[in-house]
Amino acid sequence: MASLLPPLNDHNLPWMDTLHPIVVHFVIAMALVAFVYDLVGVVARRPALFEVGFWNLLFATGAIFVAIIFGQVEAGLASPFGGSRAILDIHTTIGWSLAGVLSLLTGWRYVLRSRDPGSLPLSFLGAGALASALILVQIVLGDKLVWIYGLHTVPVVEAIRQGQV
Amino acid sequence: MALPYLSEPAPIEQLAGSLGPNGLPYSLPLHPNLVHFTIGLFVIAIAFDVAGALYPFERRLFRFLALPVTRAGLHDVGWYNLLVCSGLSFFTVAAGFYEMLLAQPIAGVRSSIGLDAITTMLWHGVGGVFLLLLIVLMTIWRGYQRFLWRRDMGRQVQWLYLLAGLLLFGLLGLHGTLGAELAAEFGVHVTADQLLAAGQNLREALP
Repeated sequence: MASLLPPLNDHNLPWMDTLHPIVVHFVIAMALVAFVYDLVGVVARRPALFEVGFWNLLFATGAIFVAIIFGQVEAGLASPFGGSRAILDIHTTIGWSLAGVLSLLTGWRYVLRSRDPGSLPLSFLGAGALASALILVQIVLGDKLVWIYGLHTVPVVEAIRQGQV
Repeated sequence: MALPYLSEPAPIEQLAGSLGPNGLPYSLPLHPNLVHFTIGLFVIAIAFDVAGALYPFERRLFRFLALPVTRAGLHDVGWYNLLVCSGLSFFTVAAGFYEMLLAQPIAGVRSSIGLDAITTMLWHGVGGVFLLLLIVLMTIWRGYQRFLWRRDMGRQVQWLYLLAGLLLFGLLGLHGTLGAELAAEFGVHVTADQLLAAGQNLREALP
């Protein structure tokens, strides 16, 4: 069966570059900016921005499931070493949790928007702030996997294949 | 041969004492994180303007999904996301240049598309400024359409604008690939790669 799988390149991937960091553009940017639009909408009394916040949040929620699919595949091929093992575990746990958190937020927001698109309760803003903080933690963890431990970078993959790590 | 006017070390050397093993005075590079916003906001801005432009075809779908939507709402996403993208991208480019000044690509490497380190860095650096210019021009163009030329029209953007946006997706993708190669192939600002290049054992240097 293993022979049916595509060959892995010098990044230890079946495709050219890591795809998870590309897909997460659309989770990170859209979810964080959605919160900023909501905040400015409330503070500056610009209800038109609530609509912009809603669509960005909806998009982030769709994108996170795609990010998780690629994240799981690439995590499975990452061969984490040393401290990166624990970081990858926490990153995976928070990632799946964020899918739930963002889905709940979007569902709540859908109901709020259906009732009155022109207002946003402070409780939703508070939940958005907490979700944004969780996303920031998740970014730092993912950054550590790439920028400190170099998972899927050519030199690290080479070192792992030669048994040096 | 030491020239008298070169007796001082290169300016970049003056920072050497405060740099970590990744070549930066901090542990995680800033530019790749700001890039999330540049790419995410630009792509989604164009995508929602496309959705706004094709609105007449989508109405039944949105009704089927019980998702109330207005054409102006979709175009608002296209406008505000692009506006924020324009503003934030100045920081993306600024952070990129700072971190490129401190870049120490691994010697002797050729990327998977056959470029050496300095060629990749030059294309990525100069290309980044060029892309910033294009993003700002797109924002100005978008502003003219929104507030002057097409203020009273349902479809707030010209087809040509959407085409330009889709072409820019291709440029952004190419540009992002060069940036990804700087990290994942040339090891720029990746702690583990730099330690390996320095001949260190990761079991001890990066437990």
